[in-house]
Amino acid sequence: MTRFTVNDRPVQYRMDPDTPLLWALRDASNLTGTKYGCGTGDCGACTVDIDGEAVRACQVSLAQTEGRFVTTIEALSPDRGHPVQQAFAAENVSQCGYCIPGMVMAASVLLRRNNDPGDEEIDAAITNICRCGIYPRLRGAIKRAGRIMRGEEQVAAAPPPGITPEEAARTVPALRKP
Amino acid sequence: MGRAPLRQKGKGRQGIDRRALLVGGGAGAGLLLAWAVWPRSYKPNLNAAPGEFVFNAFLKIDRAGQVIVIVPQLEMGQGITTLLPQILADELGADWRAIAVQSAPESPLYANTLLAREWLASDWTRIGGEAGDWALDQYATRKALMLTGGGTSVPMFHDAYRDAGAAARILLCKAAAKRWNVPWESCDIQEGLISDGGQRTLRFGDVVEAAAAFDLPEILPLRQGMEGRLAGQDLPRLDTPSKLDGSHNFAADIRLPDMVFASIRQGPIGDARLESVNEGAARSVTGFLKLVRSERWVAAVGTNWWAANKALDLADPVFMLDGPPVSDERIDAALEDAFSGSDGRRLYAQGDLLPVFEGATILASEYRVDPGLHLALEPMCATARVTDAGAEVWTATQAPGLARTAIADALGIDRASVTLYPVHAGGSFGRKMDFEAAVQAALIARDMGRPVQLLWSRLEDVIHDRPSPPAHARMAAKLGRSGVIEGWLAKVAAPCAMSQTWARIANGALPHEAAAQSADKATRLAIAGMEIPYAVSNWAIDHYPSDVYLPLGFVRGNAHLHSTFFTESFMDELAHLAQMEAMSFRIQMLGGNPRLAHCLSTAAAMGGWQGGIAGSGQGIAAHRIGDAFGAVLVEAAITGGKLMVGRMVAAVDCGDQVNPDIARQQVESGLIYGLACAMGASVPYDKAMPGRAILGRMNLPRLSDIGEITVELIRSTAKPAGATEIAAPMVAPAVANALFTVTGQRFRSLPLLSQD
Repeated sequence: MTRFTVNDRPVQYRMDPDTPLLWALRDASNLTGTKYGCGTGDCGACTVDIDGEAVRACQVSLAQTEGRFVTTIEALSPDRGHPVQQAFAAENVSQCGYCIPGMVMAASVLLRRNNDPGDEEIDAAITNICRCGIYPRLRGAIKRAGRIMRGEEQVAAAPPPGITPEEAARTVPALRKP
Repeated sequence: MGRAPLRQKGKGRQGIDRRALLVGGGAGAGLLLAWAVWPRSYKPNLNAAPGEFVFNAFLKIDRAGQVIVIVPQLEMGQGITTLLPQILADELGADWRAIAVQSAPESPLYANTLLAREWLASDWTRIGGEAGDWALDQYATRKALMLTGGGTSVPMFHDAYRDAGAAARILLCKAAAKRWNVPWESCDIQEGLISDGGQRTLRFGDVVEAAAAFDLPEILPLRQGMEGRLAGQDLPRLDTPSKLDGSHNFAADIRLPDMVFASIRQGPIGDARLESVNEGAARSVTGFLKLVRSERWVAAVGTNWWAANKALDLADPVFMLDGPPVSDERIDAALEDAFSGSDGRRLYAQGDLLPVFEGATILASEYRVDPGLHLALEPMCATARVTDAGAEVWTATQAPGLARTAIADALGIDRASVTLYPVHAGGSFGRKMDFEAAVQAALIARDMGRPVQLLWSRLEDVIHDRPSPPAHARMAAKLGRSGVIEGWLAKVAAPCAMSQTWARIANGALPHEAAAQSADKATRLAIAGMEIPYAVSNWAIDHYPSDVYLPLGFVRGNAHLHSTFFTESFMDELAHLAQMEAMSFRIQMLGGNPRLAHCLSTAAAMGGWQGGIAGSGQGIAAHRIGDAFGAVLVEAAITGGKLMVGRMVAAVDCGDQVNPDIARQQVESGLIYGLACAMGASVPYDKAMPGRAILGRMNLPRLSDIGEITVELIRSTAKPAGATEIAAPMVAPAVANALFTVTGQRFRSLPLLSQD
């Protein structure tokens, strides 16, 4: 029986300890933001943060995760307010969106260590595959997230989830309370 | 996402199939008569929640003033769920913050007649001209052929969304005018507020109920002036926020009570039947529940997907293959044999080649393109629940109506009992025109008696991809004294992937059957894009159909992917032989095509074109797809045996784009897709299996492979064209042409470098 912490909550999975973390997150915890793309550690769509490292969740078993701290895209920020998320929105990065959680997680780990990375550091940290072709906007967005983290820029590009109709009506003149 | 009602209004299939036969049979007169007596208008079949009012098939508005735009097209990442609402919101005068989106239910009102015309056109519909197009439109409408693909979504629906916005604006103005007792023509809507032309304003929600009851004038006046317009603005995509925090639900993210997980094996490529499976071994896996067998596949079901997939590995299913197993040798042989076979046809001919070629020095080159894999990051998947009340399926599909029919047929139930919940695709590039997983998931769910989520493994997704077609070309030309092409002959051997796809999704043909059926039918679909945009007096294009024993599919760019490689690589060879600079060589023959010429000169100017001289590493290519024009300049080299593309500069004219940044994004996307085709995204085949199935060995571009990328969207007032298809086909020839300048060698195969 393996125990560890997922998104600040202690969990214990009643699954085969050989099960890759990805499937415990997706199929047992319903944390479906972490995606399956290849199962071989190549695409990075399943990237999560384990003890501050960007890890392909399809490549670590539950047994190997014992006692560690896992953070998934769902808990990166409560309101899409992480600088990487805001920078991705501001630069209009995402297309189909399938690779995005993994990209965001990998970029957030990179920037926590170095909030002013150069192109080569970014390329080395982001080995994730995207088939839509978000690459042309990716380095710029990550650098912009770095500027936000360094306090040089403020961006509010993506609204938080859970805005009520009443709140919307207060902000948008075209709307009224239902 | 909008939820379709469980029981939608659906036309019975029997009545429609008779017409389908007529279309196939080509009985023009009978066709017109048969259709003339059919109803001509359809009412929207949208559900309205309490407080919502249906204005037309594309729009609901609720009492709070929320503008709910209905989108029938599948979002695959290209932004269609933003573009169509933006067209409507612009014409309506809405506030962008008040826009919501729902998926459309199935209705003839959402039929994509544009793609149907392109896909189903035959010799007899072309002879019929407008009548032929009309017949195809009718066919598509009657069948409620909802289709996404080929860059048709914006051109197909632009006017409908503009008109829907205009209609709603007039109705809202009429309701407000009545309240103010002023003529409605004096009212206007800006930023979501109705005004009387003076100080008074009303919100949509204040008058929405009354507005829906007014009548429309005979002619819809469209919005005038540029003030406060949403069109042309880089508005934020509506699907962005949920894609950033993991809350955007794809088909494999659906969670239902009591749901279990399935993985599937369909055996080798071709006519394969399940022989045996070791169920005992599967049972040793914790979480394994059951094996579900069918004639041509076996699925393992478990309490989590990994357990199901592991059980399937251990069960080691054995299949029996009938017919020749696909291999690289067989593909090559089939295509070469096609050239000498009797099924080839001249599909385009202008002028008279014979006297031009006779006794002249002909320049000739042969090219080849390998099958290209889609490799969308999201493998094929679907979630299904089947009860006595009917079937519900969650899946991303480019052909929802046909998918629904296939699910109903497989379950042997009435079509009206099948509800398809459209979810967005995690990439597609044409792959989700097929819908195998949706049908399989429904069958497995019925067998299990509980909801099932079927997710193909990456291995399965690679084995049973329906790649873009392999193709061989024999190109020949005669150059005149001044560097003008006097004669041009292109012979292309290629299976028709689009014909195969149609046979599978509309007629239920098995993949190997569909491949065999189209093996002897020469068609323009297989060589789309081979019609050269250059002014050449005498030219001809021949198609040699073939079956390569590899089922092929719809893909971004379709036949243009190989056509542009052949044409633009050969153009470069001719330019060098004519000792002319490759851009001027093209432009001298583009007098009748100023938009394409403009793209070429723009890409050249922006990219610092050095004339393609030896050592420059620069290559150029141009192409046209319908009303989309483009040119690409690249800088490339081979370093340590690896292809390096340092720069890509694209100039594209796709007409008037409602959201320029999304258009740029689509072009960037195409460039990367095209780069992948140049680098890899292809596998060798042997003994009916791909030689590789691991994503990391597909030579797909990663961030470190991407250099400087510049996209120039040429401002245009021409009608909008799709921007999704134009860029991808140009990249490989541009790179091949660039490599010639640094290696002195012509790269006439795609992928450009050997993969092993």
